[in-house]
Amino acid sequence: MTIDMSRFYQVFFDEAGEHLAAMEALLLELDVDAPDLETLNAIFRAAHSIKGGAGTFGFLDMAQLTHVLETLLDRLRKQETRPTVEMIDAFLGACDVLKAQLAAHQEGAEYADPQIAEVSARLESLSEIAATPASPAPRPPSPALPGTAATASIWLIEFRPDAIDFQSGANLHALRDVLAEMGSVEWLSEGDAEVCVWRIKTWFGKEEILETFAFVCDPERISITANTDVSPASLANADDRDGDPGFGFFAGAPGSERALDPVETDSDEELGFGFFAGAPGSEQALDQDLDGFGLFGGSPGMEQVAAVANQGRAEQEQGYGFFDLAPGTPRIADGNAAPSAESTVERPSPTSGLGAPGPGAAPKRPAVADTSIRVSVEKVDQLINLVGELVITHAMLAESASDLDPVMYERIFGGLSNLERNSRDLQQAVMSIRMLPISFVFNRFPRVVRDIAANLGKKVTLKLIGEDTELDKGLIERLADPLNHLVRNSIDHGIEQPERRREAGKSETGEITLRASHRGGSILVEVRDDGAGLDREKLLAKAAQQGIPMPENPSDKEVWQLIFHAGFSTAERVTDISGRGVGMDVVRRNIEAMNGRVEIDSQAGHGTHIAIRLPLTLAILDGLSVRMGEEIFILPLTAIQESLQPTRDQFKTVAGRGRVAHVNGDYLPLVVLREVFHLDGQPPRHEDGILVIVDTSEGLAALLVDELVAQHQVVIKSLETNYRKVDGVSGATIMGDGRVALILDVDALVRLNRKNS
Amino acid sequence: MNDERKDGAMINPEGAREFLTFTLGDEEYGIDILKVQEIRGYDAVTRIANAPAFIKGVINMRGVIVPILDMRLKFNLGQVEYNEFTVVIILNVADRVVGIVVDGVSDVIALKREQIRPAPEFGALMDTAYIDGLTTLDDRMVIMVDIEKLITSGEMGLVEQARIDMA
Repeated sequence: MTIDMSRFYQVFFDEAGEHLAAMEALLLELDVDAPDLETLNAIFRAAHSIKGGAGTFGFLDMAQLTHVLETLLDRLRKQETRPTVEMIDAFLGACDVLKAQLAAHQEGAEYADPQIAEVSARLESLSEIAATPASPAPRPPSPALPGTAATASIWLIEFRPDAIDFQSGANLHALRDVLAEMGSVEWLSEGDAEVCVWRIKTWFGKEEILETFAFVCDPERISITANTDVSPASLANADDRDGDPGFGFFAGAPGSERALDPVETDSDEELGFGFFAGAPGSEQALDQDLDGFGLFGGSPGMEQVAAVANQGRAEQEQGYGFFDLAPGTPRIADGNAAPSAESTVERPSPTSGLGAPGPGAAPKRPAVADTSIRVSVEKVDQLINLVGELVITHAMLAESASDLDPVMYERIFGGLSNLERNSRDLQQAVMSIRMLPISFVFNRFPRVVRDIAANLGKKVTLKLIGEDTELDKGLIERLADPLNHLVRNSIDHGIEQPERRREAGKSETGEITLRASHRGGSILVEVRDDGAGLDREKLLAKAAQQGIPMPENPSDKEVWQLIFHAGFSTAERVTDISGRGVGMDVVRRNIEAMNGRVEIDSQAGHGTHIAIRLPLTLAILDGLSVRMGEEIFILPLTAIQESLQPTRDQFKTVAGRGRVAHVNGDYLPLVVLREVFHLDGQPPRHEDGILVIVDTSEGLAALLVDELVAQHQVVIKSLETNYRKVDGVSGATIMGDGRVALILDVDALVRLNRKNS
Repeated sequence: MNDERKDGAMINPEGAREFLTFTLGDEEYGIDILKVQEIRGYDAVTRIANAPAFIKGVINMRGVIVPILDMRLKFNLGQVEYNEFTVVIILNVADRVVGIVVDGVSDVIALKREQIRPAPEFGALMDTAYIDGLTTLDDRMVIMVDIEKLITSGEMGLVEQARIDMA
């Protein structure tokens, strides 16, 4: 083959990635106690598609692992064994390895990790356990691929040794060794006989055997027939020239040829399934014990079978499935086959509804590709910037026009208001390009919760609400870590052990809820658990021990805030999940870096509720403009608690610790913006200014400004693009008059103030 | 960096490159014209708190926040006035847009490489490290400045030191 397969690699990587993700999601969804066949089938198909792709593109390591995976899945699917938690764990482990392999191949490397062997050994042993009670067939002689005994068949190979081109370095023994890899080989004839007769027991089809010979001789001179020792079914199979050993029997019905073809075409080494029987004259086939494969009843329906089989091919549904189609025909199946028949009629639609990119989804994919394009984030950002400019330009125009007489220049004003509406719409439309549903973050949590809960021996279910809530892509990426932390904390510290939950009169299974919703101009992401809640006394004791100053009789809110202190942990022991006391402060810092806020609410015995409030986007900020002398600054609205006109006696001096403002009974550190920024000009008296109470990482602070101007939505621009980081300032924006205004960073201001005083 | 600058320079048929000359005090300087984005007047600068005096602040140049440096303050050239004749050269160096205030822009000159003489150690306003060479133009001496090196130097405090090391 001279086709350059590498061109198609990317397609495989994408698809395999999707299949893996779907497989993981389905595995997590699978209820071990009441496995849903549809889900099992979908998982199997995902594994199978990966295997197929990996094999085609020569990623043999992946193909091998998926093969083992598939073998066990196939048993589950056929209900020969029941899924266990260990199996699901092994499957998930295999998924991880496959992901790593996929990533390695994507980088052009080979993934070599002892984990592969470990995982596949685990799968194999599970599949062996699974096989023992269920499989009526003897174990296959080859230990390499267990679990396939039921589908192996026996072939007789006859050929003349002189037909073999020994020039090419082949000899009979080598040939036999090659075949031995496919199954067990027996020499029925003497080594020096004129005609060699070998018997091979393998799960491979005739085609594969022929291929092996093709390396050394002309395939036409080899005769391969199904061994007559085995069931007549096999014979029929052999006659069909089918690659499916042991399955896919279409016995004797008129028109069965047609039915056969589509299935056969793409089911080279399918394990699987299905005997089309029941046509007139095929009693013989019916009488056989067919090793648990479903029977296709329904002579009048052969055309339908063909049609369905055709459809199956179209969907890349590779030949499994039990079609019990004929209307009114009693099911012709022995007891063995009955359960399999349950899994019949594998129309792909129901699974694709689950979001599994099973085979059913395959034909739909191109349509999706046609309606969406991949664009680099840079281009989108550029677009957002330009639209931001447009909005600013409009504001400037409007300001210039405000001097004009509205009656005389009516058309200008009309045009301006049109421009405003259009540019706002445009801004919204462009912003929405960057918006992604929060499910991008949420989707990782079922797995996280499951793994951690299993690790800690707790029972936890996860509820996701509002996954469709959209927010800025940049925020989504930065939200993942903090959320991860919160969820881990909830499981580790929040949810109690099952026994303790029972004692407390709660259900053994804890529940964690992740909810996202829009609240006004911001996004609210909540993490709620129904665990033990925060322990007020414990927190206070710990605070005293660590020397964290607390007011007398602190409110619950103040106590909860303690957990955001760096190095604060009340966990009795440090686990690999949490308890080190780093974390919550990092969570808070990360959220605040996104202009967001974290709030905690907790009730002993009833759980903890953590709410994260985030702006819709990183590019726009709700701010209050404040004036200091000639300069305008923007204060983020999220930081502002209140503003008030101070009186002279509210300002106090504390020796050695600078000045404070006495507000609502509290003494707050006073930050005089003019002094922090060393602005020129005669500073007005304090009592002529305005005190803005802001919430900082170090508690409340009072910011003294000259005047409050207005509330704006401003487009955030980085100062660092062309300049550098400025202390006390988080960025800049452009005001309606075209001037630049700096956006204040209240946390940094408080620090700066302390340094100055 | 130097190579890139030379490769990128505009070379006219005689193999000469073009330079923009400006005056600072009594001295005349030349910079690679390809580093110049535009020349504009001085207006509406927003001050940056706690920045050195020669950093006048930032302006909005069609949506881009551009810092403005006053070279006259940087090199202590006596009294500094800002009026309608004050000129800002907007430079595009090291992926940044920066404006510099100078006394005046004089000319665009084309020079061949051999017309630029190496600079001796001498007492110009700028450190010789940023000076590429000297040339003579109608009996006037023009000092050729590697403006990119100057702007990104630690002395200017424009770029965080880490970035200079990387560059």
